[in-house]
Amino acid sequence: MIDQTERIAFDLDGRPVAATVATNRLLIDLLREEFGLLGVRAGCDGGVCGACTVLIDGVPATACLMLAVEVDGRRITTIRGLECADGHLHPVQRAFLEERAFQCGSCTPGMVLLASALLAENPDPDEETIRAWMSAALCRCGGGGAILRAVRRAAAVMREAR
Amino acid sequence: MTAANDIARVRGSFAYAIDFALPGMLHAVLVRSPHPHAEILAIDAAAARVDPDVVAVATADDLAGLDPWQGVVVRDQPLLAIGKVRHAGEPVAAVVARHPAAAARAAGRVVVRWRVLPPVPTIAAALAPDAPALFDQGPPQRFPKGSGAEAWREPARNVLWRFRFRTGDPEALFGRAAHVFTDTYRFPRMSHLPIEPLCAVARWDGMGAEVWCNNQDPFLLRTDLARIFSLPEASIRVHALPAGAGFGAKSYPKHEALTLLLSRLARSPVRLALTWDEMMLTLSQHAAEVTLTTAVSADGTLLARRGLLRLDGGAYADASVIVCEKGAYRSLPGPYRWQAVESVGEVVRTSTIPAGSFRGFGGPQACFAGERQIDAIARRLRLDPVEFRKRNLLRPGEEPWPGETPMDSDLEDGLAAVAGRIGWRGSRAPGRGRGVAVGMKDGGGFSRRSLAVVKLARDGSALVLSGIADLGQGPERVAAVIVSEVLGIDPARVRLAPIDTDRTPHDQGTHASVGAAMVGLAIRRAVEAVRARLIALAAEVIDEASGDVVFEAGMIRRGNVSLSVPALFDRAFGAQGSELIGEGEARNPFDAEAPLGARCGFWMPSFAAAEVSVDADTGRVAVERLVVAGDAGHALDPEGCRAQTEGGAVQGLAQALIEALVFDDEGRLANGTPLAYRMPSVLDLPREVATITLEHGLGPGPHGAKGLGEHAILAVAAAIANAVADATGAEYSTLPITPEDVAATSGSADGVQAG
Repeated sequence: MIDQTERIAFDLDGRPVAATVATNRLLIDLLREEFGLLGVRAGCDGGVCGACTVLIDGVPATACLMLAVEVDGRRITTIRGLECADGHLHPVQRAFLEERAFQCGSCTPGMVLLASALLAENPDPDEETIRAWMSAALCRCGGGGAILRAVRRAAAVMREAR
Repeated sequence: MTAANDIARVRGSFAYAIDFALPGMLHAVLVRSPHPHAEILAIDAAAARVDPDVVAVATADDLAGLDPWQGVVVRDQPLLAIGKVRHAGEPVAAVVARHPAAAARAAGRVVVRWRVLPPVPTIAAALAPDAPALFDQGPPQRFPKGSGAEAWREPARNVLWRFRFRTGDPEALFGRAAHVFTDTYRFPRMSHLPIEPLCAVARWDGMGAEVWCNNQDPFLLRTDLARIFSLPEASIRVHALPAGAGFGAKSYPKHEALTLLLSRLARSPVRLALTWDEMMLTLSQHAAEVTLTTAVSADGTLLARRGLLRLDGGAYADASVIVCEKGAYRSLPGPYRWQAVESVGEVVRTSTIPAGSFRGFGGPQACFAGERQIDAIARRLRLDPVEFRKRNLLRPGEEPWPGETPMDSDLEDGLAAVAGRIGWRGSRAPGRGRGVAVGMKDGGGFSRRSLAVVKLARDGSALVLSGIADLGQGPERVAAVIVSEVLGIDPARVRLAPIDTDRTPHDQGTHASVGAAMVGLAIRRAVEAVRARLIALAAEVIDEASGDVVFEAGMIRRGNVSLSVPALFDRAFGAQGSELIGEGEARNPFDAEAPLGARCGFWMPSFAAAEVSVDADTGRVAVERLVVAGDAGHALDPEGCRAQTEGGAVQGLAQALIEALVFDDEGRLANGTPLAYRMPSVLDLPREVATITLEHGLGPGPHGAKGLGEHAILAVAAAIANAVADATGAEYSTLPITPEDVAATSGSADGVQAG
């Protein structure tokens, strides 16, 4: 069934990687199955829930709606890539912990990546902007309020540190 | 306290059931019926079988020799359709292949010949005199119940179950009451859609079976698998892996037995993971029609309530029988003092998606109707809705009726808390309205037994073994708090072991908000047993004539000698180390006199107050502020209580204004994809959501703890609907309340909701 393959190379969480992929292979399957990245969470398979959100050249995208071949030559950041090399958590991750902004945690990696991309682009977002960004993923446990608090907290901490 | 699992969750390294794989594992895809009701004339799988990647195809023929029926109380759902299908989306065949894509492709080549039968899409269609029968039902069968209660299986065509409870003399009270009100409410069904769908990996090894799954009932599943496959329970091993939420979708056996059958056929481990689209076809909340007749005295005292909770059970029983009984018996009367109650619950079979466990378990349907009617009555009698409720709420220690668990929360305090916070008495701006509601449900399950084991290692760290499933509600945290308190150790040194039915002590399942109260009590007793062993060991090892053994700050002292746990272990057991093990048990015993076979474990009230704004032109409703309170009894994990309350409130808000499964005229799901089925995002959150965790201290758990995992969904929808009624002067009897409904009724004081 693998009719055609293509060789692709991209930056994955700060490291150059290469893979031979079927042209119909989804990015989510490549990242979860070949690279073992559990932090790319599988959810609705339709670009709605946002659990599989990754950053492509810093811009959030749902990996379930992308073909693996589309990321050739690009820079992919998953939740793993947000941590410092020494294992220190990103301020957004710390804020999610401090606000306990998760229950089951299925949406957490995607939410954290969304927030980090927002704060990289806009260090002091207003409430409307935060809500608009964070609506790109769904928390079925109903933790949206805590997620918003975590994003506000991370924004304040990161502004302080600048 | 930051649990290790939390750090893994924010790092994206936490592994859920959906991440589990075995070497050589094959993948299954189901073939589903396009028809709501049809006879299966033939299944031709030849075109699927010739695919070199396909290993096995299963149909009803492969169920021979099994006891293939699943369901709670009534087992009427086959692992694969036998002879006919009763809802669109019902699995009729399964294809096992080396890759998921190959299985999906081959599944598309399975050809089924059908004889289409007339659909039974709604409760009304099912109860019509000429309705087609979905099952060849036997004669009505009466089931014994406790005092004042009766139940019948299949009392009428397409009626799966009828339950009735009666206390007092309703006829006399209705005859002499100053006011009697009858109202009917309609409740749609939501889909659970936890982010992680149902997923199972099964391995048949000839002698027994091993299953890895995200089912929250590993022991019930073990029992069911033993029955279905005629195996000893001891030869079946179930691993309940951490689940990416559930809300009821993962309770009671689901497709795990089918996955095991496929493994037996394919002679390899098989994985069957459903998609979101399939989750929407597998189980839903119950749609309901609720009719309440309520008698009120001239001075505004509630006298008697007669209620009918009619649930759309869909095609198969699943957990409908117990949802119906609990909803009718424990939630329909609500939190009030009655002189008489007559509650009837009925499950109607329709050719739609089976309905089953959903957070609240019959409570949301009953509470929406009950609290809407209480508000409507207050308005009709020109009484303040808060004062009217306060006058009639059960007081702490008061039995709702003779023989039932006395009220173990201060309901007036809860109502006052949310009403005060929303500013109930303050003036309302134009277009704004406020509403309150008090929901009621039991917690702790039917009669119940939970077991727990705590193992203390030489280094003073502790492992807890308990059957409480991790669905994200934070059981590891509750376990750590309980153990650390008794042993005086750092909660970070306590871990809740993964569930493995070979090793974990039995538990009747993660249901009915039992975690903190019942399982917590079992854990508490287990760790107290460990502590007793430690003290006995110290008495044996510390050769000090005088003084009792004292346990303080992680040290064991007798007289002048003080030892750490490692030092004590070394003296007692030598350099090889050992463990101290304690067992604990918590029970809610059978009680033949109790209507449902056991008194309620604890009451789980829910208090909500909402302020909404209504756009009179467009009918758009925005929830501006929401205040929700629940009674934790004693909050073992205050942040966890907050999260449960906030989460349930969002589900309640979605129920009120956003979410509903929509069916076409034949009962096929019309919005059965994640894109078409609207779910709330942060854009739907009110500007202000306040949660209050009450600690009335009257629960059965450690320090009076109770569960509150299900409370918030009970009251929020009614509070929002009551606020919309307050803003518009119209009564709303159907959820979700849409802009069309509001625009049609807005401004007419006597307005009746369209449709």
